[in-house]
Amino acid sequence: MNTIEEKLWNYIDGTCSPVEQDAIARLIEQDKAYAQKYQELLALNQEFAAMELDEPPMAFTYNVMEAIRAENAMQPLKANIDKRVILGIAIFFVFTILALLVVVFANVHVSGINISAADIKLPAGVKLPSTNSVFSGPLVKWFLIFDVVLALFLTDAYLHRKKTTRQLQ
Amino acid sequence: MQSKLSDIELIEQSLAGNQSAYADLVKRHQRFVFTLALRFAKGREDAEEIAQDCFIKAYRSLASFQGQSKFSTWLYSIVYTTAMTFLRKKRVATDSIDDENTFIQVESQESGYDTNNIENKSRSFYLNQAIAQLLPDDATIITLFYKGEQSLEEIAQALGMETNTVKVKLFRARQRLKEKLEQNLKQEVKELI
Repeated sequence: MNTIEEKLWNYIDGTCSPVEQDAIARLIEQDKAYAQKYQELLALNQEFAAMELDEPPMAFTYNVMEAIRAENAMQPLKANIDKRVILGIAIFFVFTILALLVVVFANVHVSGINISAADIKLPAGVKLPSTNSVFSGPLVKWFLIFDVVLALFLTDAYLHRKKTTRQLQ
Repeated sequence: MQSKLSDIELIEQSLAGNQSAYADLVKRHQRFVFTLALRFAKGREDAEEIAQDCFIKAYRSLASFQGQSKFSTWLYSIVYTTAMTFLRKKRVATDSIDDENTFIQVESQESGYDTNNIENKSRSFYLNQAIAQLLPDDATIITLFYKGEQSLEEIAQALGMETNTVKVKLFRARQRLKEKLEQNLKQEVKELI
């Protein structure tokens, strides 16, 4: 059951039905206790409504917009790594390798059990370039040196990145 | 100077990529969001963090705002969830109003105020002091009702509660606030005597 105070608050807020509204209005007019309580709550209601809002720091809007801008700036980097592009490249290479394998295996003629004696016949008109001159001694050496330098450079970059990440954490 | 455009118009412009439109939205609602955040946080720094987080979250999900409710109602629901998550993280003590050890937030909110001179204190100071002693839920409902231009239905929507629950909570919160106001004023009179 509603108390006097609850009824009066509903009356002040206008959340009761029109019938209840009329009944309470009549009570306020006729009953002194109701009238007194009503005045008290009305004053309290006005006081609550006069409540002041707190002011955030001056740079609040700027800080929010900066945070949003920083978040937006990160997005193009993500967009660059489009998984569909990577998948497309992967599919291209897989199909190319498969096609090459099919062509090669279709032209391999194995005579006897001895694998070393396998006779690989290329399609007519196709000639393999001579690799003897390309893989000569000095070229292979320079290639290996380049590989070693590249491996050292990549390892250094990786370790440096790892160290920086740890420091930031 | 704040924009005269409506919230919906500013949202449309923000979604079209106009960041200054969103800045206008922030300016328009920042005081209220900050005040609501203060109802949950212990100090201004935490409140600022909550309020900032709310506006960033709102920006991220702006496209999902369908305009079925007021933007403010939608924003206050974000404030409420963010503040609750913040409280859970920080494990701020939210003691009962009857508990003698209920913390008072006033110091951080009204820093620099001369607390010994009753004549210098405005009624709003006493009101803020009493609100700060309420439970965050009670303080939030009172603030939303009186300053957020929200109906009981909208408050219920923002807080994820039934309208009747909000009505009962508002009634109790007002009673507690009244008690606290009387208690604080009595204390001041005692100190003077």
